[in-house]
Amino acid sequence: MAEQVISPDLGFVKDVIASGGESLKKCFQCATCSVVCNLAPDDKPFPRKEMIYAQWGLKDRLISNPDIWLCHQCSDCTAYCPRGAKPGEVLGAVRKLAIEHYSFPGFLGKAVGKPQFLVLLFVIPIVILFIVLASLGNLNLSAIPRGEDGGIVYAKFMPEIYIEVIYIAVSAFVAFSFVMGIRRYWKDMGVDKRGQILAAGSILGTIASIIGEILAHKRFEKCELTKERKISHFLVFYSFIGLAITAGWGVFYLYILHRESPYPLTDPMKWLGNASALALLIGITLVVIYRNKNKGKAGIGSYFDWLLIVIIAAIAVTGMAAQCLRLADVAVLAYPVYFLHLVFVFFLFAYAPYSKMAHMVYRTVAMVFTKHAEKGVEIVTKAG
Amino acid sequence: MEKKIGVYICTDCEIGKALDIDQLVKVATKMKAPVVKTHPSLCLKEGVEFIKSDMAAEGVNAVVIAACSPRVNYDIFDLGTPSIERVNLREGVVWSHTPNDEDTQMMAEDYIRMGILKMQKMEAPEPYKVEDLSKNVLVVGGGLAGITAANEAAKTGYDVYLVEKADFLGGWMARLYKQTPTKPPYTDLEEPFIKDLIKEIQQNPKIKIYTSSLVEKVVGGPGTYDVTIKQDGKVETFRAGAIVSAAGTVPYDATKITHLGFGQFPNVITNIMMEEMASKGQIVRPSDGKPARSVAFILCAGQRDENYLPYCSSTCCIESLKQAKYVRNQDPDSKVFLFYKDMRTPGHYEYFYKSMQNDPGVFLTKGDVKGITEDENKNLVIEVENTLIGEKVKMNVDLAVLAVGIVPVTALGEEELPPGVKPGDEFIPYVMIETDIINLDYRQGGELPSLAYGYPDSNFICFPYETRRTGVYSAGPVRSPMDIPSTIEDATGAALKAIQCIELTARGEAVHPRAGDISFADFFMQKCTQCKRCTEECPFGAINEDEKANPIYNPTRCRRCAICLGACPERIISFKNYSVDMIGTMVKNIEVPEEEEKPRAIVFACENDAYPALDMAGINRLKYNPFVRVVPLRCAGSMNLVWVADALSKGVDGILILGCQYGEDYQCHFATGSHLAKIRLSKVAETLDRLRLESGRAQMEQISISEYYKVPEVLDSFIEKLKEFGPNPYKGF
Repeated sequence: MAEQVISPDLGFVKDVIASGGESLKKCFQCATCSVVCNLAPDDKPFPRKEMIYAQWGLKDRLISNPDIWLCHQCSDCTAYCPRGAKPGEVLGAVRKLAIEHYSFPGFLGKAVGKPQFLVLLFVIPIVILFIVLASLGNLNLSAIPRGEDGGIVYAKFMPEIYIEVIYIAVSAFVAFSFVMGIRRYWKDMGVDKRGQILAAGSILGTIASIIGEILAHKRFEKCELTKERKISHFLVFYSFIGLAITAGWGVFYLYILHRESPYPLTDPMKWLGNASALALLIGITLVVIYRNKNKGKAGIGSYFDWLLIVIIAAIAVTGMAAQCLRLADVAVLAYPVYFLHLVFVFFLFAYAPYSKMAHMVYRTVAMVFTKHAEKGVEIVTKAG
Repeated sequence: MEKKIGVYICTDCEIGKALDIDQLVKVATKMKAPVVKTHPSLCLKEGVEFIKSDMAAEGVNAVVIAACSPRVNYDIFDLGTPSIERVNLREGVVWSHTPNDEDTQMMAEDYIRMGILKMQKMEAPEPYKVEDLSKNVLVVGGGLAGITAANEAAKTGYDVYLVEKADFLGGWMARLYKQTPTKPPYTDLEEPFIKDLIKEIQQNPKIKIYTSSLVEKVVGGPGTYDVTIKQDGKVETFRAGAIVSAAGTVPYDATKITHLGFGQFPNVITNIMMEEMASKGQIVRPSDGKPARSVAFILCAGQRDENYLPYCSSTCCIESLKQAKYVRNQDPDSKVFLFYKDMRTPGHYEYFYKSMQNDPGVFLTKGDVKGITEDENKNLVIEVENTLIGEKVKMNVDLAVLAVGIVPVTALGEEELPPGVKPGDEFIPYVMIETDIINLDYRQGGELPSLAYGYPDSNFICFPYETRRTGVYSAGPVRSPMDIPSTIEDATGAALKAIQCIELTARGEAVHPRAGDISFADFFMQKCTQCKRCTEECPFGAINEDEKANPIYNPTRCRRCAICLGACPERIISFKNYSVDMIGTMVKNIEVPEEEEKPRAIVFACENDAYPALDMAGINRLKYNPFVRVVPLRCAGSMNLVWVADALSKGVDGILILGCQYGEDYQCHFATGSHLAKIRLSKVAETLDRLRLESGRAQMEQISISEYYKVPEVLDSFIEKLKEFGPNPYKGF
């Protein structure tokens, strides 16, 4: 084994503790966690070693370690831990710090993880949207023009073009930010596995198989304590896909078919949109219910976890409410709720590279890397 | 006073149903017992009254009770006379053999005969009383153990002499900066309480304290130890009744562990130096005086390593955690690394360990520290293998603390073996390390025999605080590595043992394990050949020698095991109620039938473990053959070879000794007795050859009380073996 000079980082230990891993130091390395984990590979199981890396502040060994993402926080480890060290929660905290570490620009990564910046983070979309509304003179809600049938038309409150400009800009920023983070992450992971990755050949096949695995939610099935999480995550996951399709469909109606919103509830696009929204609402409610049910054994989760849950729940609730209030023609509530909906959506998208939402990217990348490296090892072994 | 024997046969507990009682009465009457009676239940009040009325009305003064085992109901059959013999018809005969069987009946009859013979040969022992007995306790060592022992003995009303080598009291504990937690929540360091204890004993008029003093000489035995001490050149003498040795420990010499760099690199220090530094104020790097911000603790710095200190020193883990807290308290950004073999923090220490573990600045891992080196800035590089982090790692630190173990002061000398004994011999009677601590004027050497690693011999499970010197009780870490609360408990126990010894000695009784025994050895000196066997083999050094090598017996040092009786080739040693002649007569008078299918074997059973195991077999209704005749011995080591010859010449087919486990981890209640029996038995082979008998006819087995289930197998297979040999050719001579 390689002899390495280690330099434990007390600051990192404190960061893990502050990020939801306050039980970290209780671990006494019995490795029960690695034994009960159904997701850990047999040859190099986690999270026992990750626990001592974290206890010893060995940041380098954790942040770029794909294993921390192979963990799906089933919390079987936490449930069985004889010392209450909650490895699941600790790894969650480490993942949060990994997201923060690879975030670009770094200050946003830090801000999203800390409750004291929450207000500031909300102020940004509120101010932007407020300026737009003010410039359109739409602050006086009663003066906002109505549709042909006299109903509320959100496009007249906040015309689509503004939303599209803002969100396209945000998306570009988010994509750039993710690319920057992933590049660094991939490089760090590959430091001592370059040979294997190169030997594995084309990565497209690996990506396809991992995406297939993610779509099927196969890994959640291996969880024991939190088995039902597959249902809630599945609902949230596919409702996001449904809502993305709905959004695309809307763009098609508006710019190709030149059909103005709002669309009748009988429209197939609305069916998909409403079904997805309902699924999202149910899914996120189940997330909360399951978390609450298992909090004794699995831990209640960190600020970082709950921030995402609350934002998603807020999007679902404000989205549904905005539609209902529009149909009920309660203008005084409908416009503010729609405004809030836009704020929450902005929050989710703009801060995705820094919030727990980033897990979908980092976990996918880590899974691809691991699988690809394994493939490389197989090829090298066969050739040898 | 004329001995008048009364034989009382109980018929309760199936005895009456399983045996022909009339026949037993006839046997007893034939043995010329003047009073022979039966009773339906001797252990009831009426039964005891039945015997007592005979004692009062008919002058019966020697009572043979043929009923249950002597191990039960001894309190009920306390008839105010030492002349009581119990014949074990219940556990030893009817509960372990087929009822109403000819062979079972023969067994019972033999036991009745043996019991009466024993009583006929027995004289009523009278207690040995010493003149000018002192009830004062001498405590050697003024550390926590010594102070506690002195304090506890004084509180009980005994005067104490406390002798301390240093010019201050408190020992190692007085040098502590802080003390590990003793109170809930067991997470906070405490002020060492030794200062209060010192004050307490200094103010106690019952305790006479000698600091800067050494024990020059101790002459005598329990009750009459004449102690000479030297204080600043002045000599003082006094008499003490018992001794508590609380002489303490020294730290292991860290320079011996060369790969850890102590003595080579200024920033490698020991736990003792760390404690001193913390007491002075700041924890710094000795090389430049700068505060130490990263500190590595090497736990097991030599401990549990055959090359250095093979045993666990018990306190280093918790003390290192405590010192880690010193560092952390000094600077919240400091880092403390603890490398351990195993973190041993039992009991309440677990809370302290957990609280330290929970400190983000405390880094713990199992690991083998392979070496410490130094860079140009005098920073240390620690190299550790097999860590929980995985591979071999190196770390830079400001300061390294070696948590060295403890060595009892009793180990600080050369090991000396008895004359004629070589290291590696199968049997080593005792190991002496002459260290100048208590300087006993004993023929076997001046200190306490050592068991392992220089710690005084003490079978702690069976005999807490005992040493192999009656009246000397070791306490605290000099006996075994231990922490503060254990030391207090240990010293208290040792003080109580010392008091117990004094009081038993005052009454002329033996100490544990034959507590209350008033018999003692008698030496028929006219026949002594000065062979030194008794003085060498006594496990307790009870026998001194004069210049002509005559044994000088010290009854108060004696534990009445009778190993000397077994050792003496001239058979000059006897007890009033236990002698070569007595056992020999019993052995020679068992009835040996001529029939080949009715062999006979004598089983000499150690009273401490083997005999209870036989009883247990009976209680559990395990059946064994009726051809054995059990003769209880005070210790297997009291077996005199003449009994083997006696038995074989009378036609007995074999002799089996049942003793305790000997060798390493011995369980012999008298330390070396069972091993001595084995050695002696190996010498009997010659005799057997001379008699043209198979040496396998005399065997020894080790059995412990918990192995009672083995009794039938052991006894039956021995008889089977004897059957293979065929009958003893001397049968019928």
